[in-house]
Amino acid sequence: MHRRIPALSAVMVVLAILITACSGGNAASSAAAASGTPEPTGPPVEIKWYCCLGTGDDKTQLPIEAKVVDDFNKSHPHIKLVFDHVAYSGARDAFATRLASGTPPDVVGPVGVGGAEAFRGQWLDLASLIAKNHYDLTQYGQGAVDFYKVAGQGQIGIPFAVYPSELYYQPDMFDEAGLNYPPQKYGDKYKMPDGSMVDWNYDTVRQIAMKLTVDSANKDATQAGFDPKKIQQYGFEPQRDDLRGMGAYFGAGKLAADDNKTVQIPEGWAQGWKWIYDGMFKDHFIMTNSVYTSTAFNGGRYAFNSGKVAMQENFLWNVCCVTDAGGNWNLAAIPSNNGKPTAVFNADTFRITKGSKHPDEAFTVLSYLLGDASKTLLNSYSAFPARTADQADFFTGLEAQKDSKGKPVYPPDVDWQVAVDGIKYADNPNFEAWMPAYNKSLDLLQTKLTRWTSTPGLDMDQEISNLKTQLQAIWDKG
Amino acid sequence: MIALRRRRMSRLAWHEARSGLLFLSPWIIGFLAFTLIPVIATLVFTFTNITLSQDAPLRFVGLDNYLALFRDPQVWVSLLVAFKFAAISLPVAVILPFAVALLLNSRSLRGSALFRVLFFMPYVVPFVAGILIWSQMLNSDTGWINGLLGLVGIQGPDWLNDAGWVYPGLVIIGVWGIGGGIIVNQAGLKGIPTELYDAARIDGAGWWGQLRHVTLPMMSPVIFYTLVLGVVEVLQYFLVPLVLNQGTGEPGGATRFYNLYLYKTFFAFQEMSYGATLAWLLFLITLAFTGILFWSARYWVYYAGESSSS
Repeated sequence: MHRRIPALSAVMVVLAILITACSGGNAASSAAAASGTPEPTGPPVEIKWYCCLGTGDDKTQLPIEAKVVDDFNKSHPHIKLVFDHVAYSGARDAFATRLASGTPPDVVGPVGVGGAEAFRGQWLDLASLIAKNHYDLTQYGQGAVDFYKVAGQGQIGIPFAVYPSELYYQPDMFDEAGLNYPPQKYGDKYKMPDGSMVDWNYDTVRQIAMKLTVDSANKDATQAGFDPKKIQQYGFEPQRDDLRGMGAYFGAGKLAADDNKTVQIPEGWAQGWKWIYDGMFKDHFIMTNSVYTSTAFNGGRYAFNSGKVAMQENFLWNVCCVTDAGGNWNLAAIPSNNGKPTAVFNADTFRITKGSKHPDEAFTVLSYLLGDASKTLLNSYSAFPARTADQADFFTGLEAQKDSKGKPVYPPDVDWQVAVDGIKYADNPNFEAWMPAYNKSLDLLQTKLTRWTSTPGLDMDQEISNLKTQLQAIWDKG
Repeated sequence: MIALRRRRMSRLAWHEARSGLLFLSPWIIGFLAFTLIPVIATLVFTFTNITLSQDAPLRFVGLDNYLALFRDPQVWVSLLVAFKFAAISLPVAVILPFAVALLLNSRSLRGSALFRVLFFMPYVVPFVAGILIWSQMLNSDTGWINGLLGLVGIQGPDWLNDAGWVYPGLVIIGVWGIGGGIIVNQAGLKGIPTELYDAARIDGAGWWGQLRHVTLPMMSPVIFYTLVLGVVEVLQYFLVPLVLNQGTGEPGGATRFYNLYLYKTFFAFQEMSYGATLAWLLFLITLAFTGILFWSARYWVYYAGESSSS
């Protein structure tokens, strides 16, 4: 008989481990769900906050997110918030894996429009939770609330952050080239070196960007003997995360026609793509993909931050990481195309997954991230608050930020008003708007982006026509 | 017969068998949970319509996924990409470690232990880190390789963005990790009895004769082993193009390998059932190639321990 005891004990231990592992905090949450309100009994319910389908994975942001989690856990003993961090580059794949394995995280964010559209149908309609918790939506503009109200899906988000685009520039490089700084007010003209006043448009940008592009012999791209194989400093850098966004700076649009079945290439986008392509392979003031991915220019992580680019279009969230570009940068207005500037727009928020097993607790976390923790997070993400009451203090908060040595993080004279003004010129429709076969279409667009930034000698009209045909084939297949 | 044996099993043996099974149970549970059941599940998935978005209700679709697979041109393009790359990389992956191991085994080489360590060192560097380093080395504008070629007056190619040069570029990256192959080959070489070389020399065999009539036959099981692993690896080739080109398949689709397409189908396009079908096709192709290799082994692989009659 005593021989059986060790074997039985081992079986019992294995069973105990399995039962413990499988049970989790379900009992508590089931009871809470049954009663309609979360009851603070039993072990804490674990809520996973998944980051980073949008911003949030910069080395400066992670400690702040960790502190937000700690503060939450201290003030909410019945919920255990766990920060589930995956770097942006792998975040979509990892999130897909979690969904496919039936273990979705509860709260996801910050996630932008594109990240959310890539997982269309996975987000919880918050309407009932908003009503149940009497969550006040009037603290946001109605337009911002409606932005997250999607036909067939409901209220799948609550506004959190907006990121207008600006033109980041290096005043020292302009001084060295004897050029005037770009205008900081939308509608202002630009003063050329000969004193003439010209429109602040992409033709003007091309001309000055060539002067700001310098090779190892200190010749600029307009001079004879300039060697494009030995460029040390580039004049201009587009926002190249998404081919649609690259085009949208030249005019708002979307790829799906109103019937949501037919591909259309917005005219401004085609103009923009050709302008950028010529800027790379003909005029050489924009770097090619191989230069962009080299460590000399920040290894594919926003070349302006290498300190070797004079101008870059980017979103406000890039402010978080622009400190490496040197201590003297500023913001200017986005140039116009066909007489109209388009300051392409990003918006991030936190969402709850449809598959969350604890929606009530997840909503408590969501309310915290959008409420008590929002100022800390917005500052960290350099995100303009969607909550109307917080907007006035936002840039004061940015200016007050100091690094570990007590030095201000941002230069003292940054013209933040440019960012606020840019909101009026946001792209509408947004470039990340839904399109059929979203993920397959994105894959094709990413392939084209790599091809167009890597391959000299392309007929861009033919390339754009091919893109349209190939996209249509994907959409027709469904 | 089995029942008879069972009846004859002593109480002690029965207890021992049960204890053995109990101790094996973690592995058995792990194998069932993480290997066998998922494999069977993917086979079941191939007959359904599972996608992550799952707009349509889950249903049995018969052979639809298999029919879609045969109609999908990207499947065949991606397989062709894998075969083209295999034609270039497999000879290098098999011959080069063998050749380097021969060199390291040479009596004339001094400091062979140092060289062995040097060749093996890259193998222990995390492969993704290695790929990122190589992407900088092969950068057409700022990379060291083109920089070195430039010193001798050669304009280096665009290794990673030119469809004509990307495979040699990938092979160069692969060569960095041949340390494991070298160790396996060296272990094989050390196991060849020296009497065979003595006998060959007495028979008048020179270096080439010894290589051809002693080394190669005796090393044929090791070469067979590296070849089988090489075929499996090349069909599953995935990580390098994913990291180098973010899985875009550029330049010109030359790096859209089959396994990369499979991965994208699962995780980017979120078509789980179709992805499972692609995975099963890859499994069957790999099975076929390894089957052919095992069948051919009887004609060229020599196992010293085997009797001639077997």
